[in-house]
Amino acid sequence: MKRSADRWLFLSAAILTAASLALPLWDFRMSAPQYPDEALHIRVTRAGLAGDLQEVDTLQQYVGVRFPTDLPELDWVTRAIAILAALLALGAAVRRGMAATAIRIATAALLLAFLVASLVTLQARIYQVGHERDADAPITAVKDFTPPAIGPAKVGNFTVWSYPHLGAIVLSLAAALAVVGASRPLRVGRSGRRQKRFHAQEVVL
Amino acid sequence: MKRNSFIVIIIVLVLAGLLGMWTGKFGAARSARAAAAEQVYVAPGEHDKYYGFLSGGQSGSVFVVGIPSGRLLREVPVFEPRAAYGYALHANDPQRQLLDRTGGAWGDTHHPVLSEKGGLYDGRFLWVNDLANGRLARIRLDYFETDSIIKIPNLQGAHGIAAVSPDTKYIVVNGEFEQPADGLVTNPAPYTSVVAFVDAVSMEVKFEVEVPGNIDIADTSKDGRHAFSTIYNLEQGRDMGSMIQFDRDALAAIDIPAAEAAVAAGKGRVRNGVPILFPDENPGVLTLVPVPKNPHGVNVTPDGRYVMASGKLSPTVTIVDTKTLKIVAEPEVGLGPLHTTFDNRGNAYTSLFLDSQVVKWNIDKAVSGAADYIVDRINVHYNIGHLQAVGGESMAPTGDYLLALNKLSKDQYLPVGPDLPENQEIIDISGEKMKMLASFPTPPEPHDAVFCPAKILAPKVKQVYATAGNAVEAGKESVVRTGPDTVTVRMSMIRSAYTPDHFEVREGDTITFTLTNVETIRDMIHGFALPDHNLHVALPPGATKTITIEAGKPGVYWYYCTNFCSALHLEMRGRMVVQPKDSTITLSDWKSGQNVTGPVPGVPSTGAQQ
Repeated sequence: MKRSADRWLFLSAAILTAASLALPLWDFRMSAPQYPDEALHIRVTRAGLAGDLQEVDTLQQYVGVRFPTDLPELDWVTRAIAILAALLALGAAVRRGMAATAIRIATAALLLAFLVASLVTLQARIYQVGHERDADAPITAVKDFTPPAIGPAKVGNFTVWSYPHLGAIVLSLAAALAVVGASRPLRVGRSGRRQKRFHAQEVVL
Repeated sequence: MKRNSFIVIIIVLVLAGLLGMWTGKFGAARSARAAAAEQVYVAPGEHDKYYGFLSGGQSGSVFVVGIPSGRLLREVPVFEPRAAYGYALHANDPQRQLLDRTGGAWGDTHHPVLSEKGGLYDGRFLWVNDLANGRLARIRLDYFETDSIIKIPNLQGAHGIAAVSPDTKYIVVNGEFEQPADGLVTNPAPYTSVVAFVDAVSMEVKFEVEVPGNIDIADTSKDGRHAFSTIYNLEQGRDMGSMIQFDRDALAAIDIPAAEAAVAAGKGRVRNGVPILFPDENPGVLTLVPVPKNPHGVNVTPDGRYVMASGKLSPTVTIVDTKTLKIVAEPEVGLGPLHTTFDNRGNAYTSLFLDSQVVKWNIDKAVSGAADYIVDRINVHYNIGHLQAVGGESMAPTGDYLLALNKLSKDQYLPVGPDLPENQEIIDISGEKMKMLASFPTPPEPHDAVFCPAKILAPKVKQVYATAGNAVEAGKESVVRTGPDTVTVRMSMIRSAYTPDHFEVREGDTITFTLTNVETIRDMIHGFALPDHNLHVALPPGATKTITIEAGKPGVYWYYCTNFCSALHLEMRGRMVVQPKDSTITLSDWKSGQNVTGPVPGVPSTGAQQ
């Protein structure tokens, strides 16, 4: 692989990261028997929650579940994505040398850290939705619940699937590209050392 | 001994066979039943292949059934109030006022016809007549609701109707009950009647053509040239005996382009705003083809070559060439032929009222004079009137199912008192021999039917209303006193509450409700029932309805949801408090629930909520 490949990987990652700003991040798909072929969706976007809000809100009055309307973390998500896109672009701009390697490794690490932090925040919010419920809810059958950030959960008569939407998928792809791009010098370095040892053995023989 | 056992075994087998044939529970009889059942079985969750539209007769509505299952899917109210759909119930309901204005809150629907484009159904509109009060109604099929009703001037007994092929330029409406020719009851001159041509889009009566006698059933040529009608009582008798004197009555053919030209040239005599063409003043507009007396059905073949008049009193069908208007054949088909329909293989199917049969016959063979034109006969139960094969009225019959609409059911269903259900029978016509598949009962009384392929209509059907201009927005509801005796209530409804859920008025106040169902998902319908005020409204998602009523006696009236909606459906209700006329309590603020006391304001309030 040519050295310039790293720069292309970082440029692609920067573009994907920037593109994720325009895409929904997460999706909750809620299906129940009375919604044939028309599962309800709540999407997390940078602007807040979107999708079948009215219908889900109407249903929530029976079980006392409240979706948060104020999500301050979406502001830092936006800023973080913008900064990461800029760092990735910088990683693509710097040609070679220790500085380039350092910037790339740091950026890839930051992007990974950001993804993990986002996932943790999301899980915390989901826990909050499942537990901070209205005690006066008319239907008493639904107990506290904690759906996983990724995967299915049964809530009352609903099956709720939580999974990444396009924005999160694109971000993960960018992270993968950045990790490959940042780790290449390390891998090249290791294999280079192995080759040297091999040569030394030949010399001994 | 051995021989005796053998005989015993034979006898037992024969008895078992007879028992099987008698009960239909074993062997071949059983497998025939199973095969027929399979053909009309539509599993739960699956859909029928066709929409069937059956006129409701004196129910004043249109029944929508699935074919081949025969399951009732919907009743579309047209000329009669239907509380279930909140249709035309209250005297102040705009739909009710339209009915009252045009001829009354009941009707007798006979012939449903579908809009066509290029001779094929396009799933946009369905028209149906009210024979009793001389009206024509249109149903929009995107919402399955009546969107226009007109009274047709200069005509009584709006009987046969037809959509002019191939592009539904007009709806033809036949006036069956003859009237004095100049519209005056003092005129002793012979009575006549008219065929009305109604613009399918604007629902305006464009012109009428005077026709002698009683104008019965209608159809049109496939090229839009002619409107055909059967005519009886050319004798112009006024009692039954004198209506059947002549040997021949007629098939009337109105030349539509010739009539349009005459109207454009100002040849029509305007009465009640509609130009009427009189045939003796406008030669070439009307042609009468003599057919055996008192004919009934008239049907044009799918290829447009022939028009057929069914004999009723004569055992024949008269086949007339649509281009030359000459009779080409008059085959005997059986007793009491009323209507004819078609498959896609050159066969005609004629209902035989007296024989209680459907007869299948080959058109080409009958025209060429071959002796073996009768293909098959099948018994129906009983006294069949109309019959329709799927697509038989269009240029693309499908040749799979035929519906027999029988006048009597007699022993076919569990007895339910002296007024028995009507009996519809579904017949498989895909093979050489017809096969009886199933029957289904309906309330009185479907006359005719028409079918639309589900794949054409279903994608056009809407399930949520587009928001109307006057819709009440959630969060912007209001109760406003607009005058000394007038109040407007703008109310929204969504599971499981009305907003406002409480308002107060005074006895005799005129209350104008604007009600909006603000749900956005399909099938979430809310009713608004107000006890003791003859008010029930049913609102599908997104729908808005405005209605004005008068507040009744002082008291507390709980309005509630009639259409089961949610786990808190029973709790979905609110209070209309009617204060005595002389009450000094003003309308309370429904948001705070506190009554405001003081002098009654005599001028309109300006507040959003008072």
